[in-house]
Amino acid sequence: MGSCSKFFVFSVFLFLLLSVSIRWVSAVDEDVVALDIAEAEEVLGSAYGAVLEAEEAGANVSGLLGRLNVGGEYLAEAYVWIRLGVFENASRFAGLCREVVEDVKGEAFGLRDEAERLGEADFVVRMVGSAVGVVVVLIVGFVVWRVFRRHYHKKVLGLRPEVVSGES
Amino acid sequence: MNLDDYRALFLVVTLGLALIVASPLFGVIVPFGGGSERFSEFWLLGPSHMAEGYPFNVTAGEEYRVFVGVGNHMGGSEYYMVSVKFRNSSQSLPDITGSEPSSLPTLYEYRFFVGDGEVWEMPVTFGFEDVVVEGDFLVVGDVTVDGVVFPVDVSAVGDVERGGCFFQLFFELWRYDVMSESFRFDDRFVGLWLNMTGS
Repeated sequence: MGSCSKFFVFSVFLFLLLSVSIRWVSAVDEDVVALDIAEAEEVLGSAYGAVLEAEEAGANVSGLLGRLNVGGEYLAEAYVWIRLGVFENASRFAGLCREVVEDVKGEAFGLRDEAERLGEADFVVRMVGSAVGVVVVLIVGFVVWRVFRRHYHKKVLGLRPEVVSGES
Repeated sequence: MNLDDYRALFLVVTLGLALIVASPLFGVIVPFGGGSERFSEFWLLGPSHMAEGYPFNVTAGEEYRVFVGVGNHMGGSEYYMVSVKFRNSSQSLPDITGSEPSSLPTLYEYRFFVGDGEVWEMPVTFGFEDVVVEGDFLVVGDVTVDGVVFPVDVSAVGDVERGGCFFQLFFELWRYDVMSESFRFDDRFVGLWLNMTGS
């Protein structure tokens, strides 16, 4: 085999190897980016769940919603770029989404616990306040009624003409 | 009024006052005001931010702008997605009664969170590239949304009766379901009919 033939066979081999390798690397990239996006989506979804719990407990979550919104914008960008096959951008935006949102869940749970503590304290204050208020109203009502009844007896019965027996 | 009548009056007034004093506690124990209807609003406004002047006659190489908005009246914060799609008059639309979104692929999308009683609104810029007339057909090669180019290759035959080639750019509203941890089509979509001409 001449040196030209050897060079030709080697070139073909190298070409085939490269083409297979490049396709393989590309496929792995796409899979990795899809996983990145799925992970970002999961982080965002669970952070939203935590924010909802905090909101239901009565916490003010407007600040957290603002950060979730930024994460949502990044995630939408990631989806747009992966559909267009621009995996580098998709991966970058998925990473940004995770970065923005990853602390939100912990903060939301903190707000939820605080709101629950405040809610419990508020409930106790309301309960005690209402119970004391009801007792005071009942006692005041009873006292006023006694005073009124005495006044009524004195005034109304005092006006009643006396019946003297044996007179006709 | 005799004394028994006064007694009844006192009893009623005292019990009424006691109920008023106890009402803050009832407010915690018994949920009030939960019966209002829960829904999401979804709208599309023209370039002047009014329900008029919507783009209709469009050509390749031009940019058009509309405003898409969502109002949340669901009683709590919601996570929404607006999916932008493009079709000709014979391709699938969302089926609102069957809660089925259009089977067409999403081009662009917006994801956002809206607090209860609040609204989200976004200007959407769109245009068309690579529009080719092939006999009776008009083929749209690319749709641009907010500066991003999406290859679509959607064709429409000229409508002689209405005098044009008609396409529709439409927006579907999706809402995140925490239980299933996924988005669900929210049975709402808005769209623009567009009469396309080549450049």
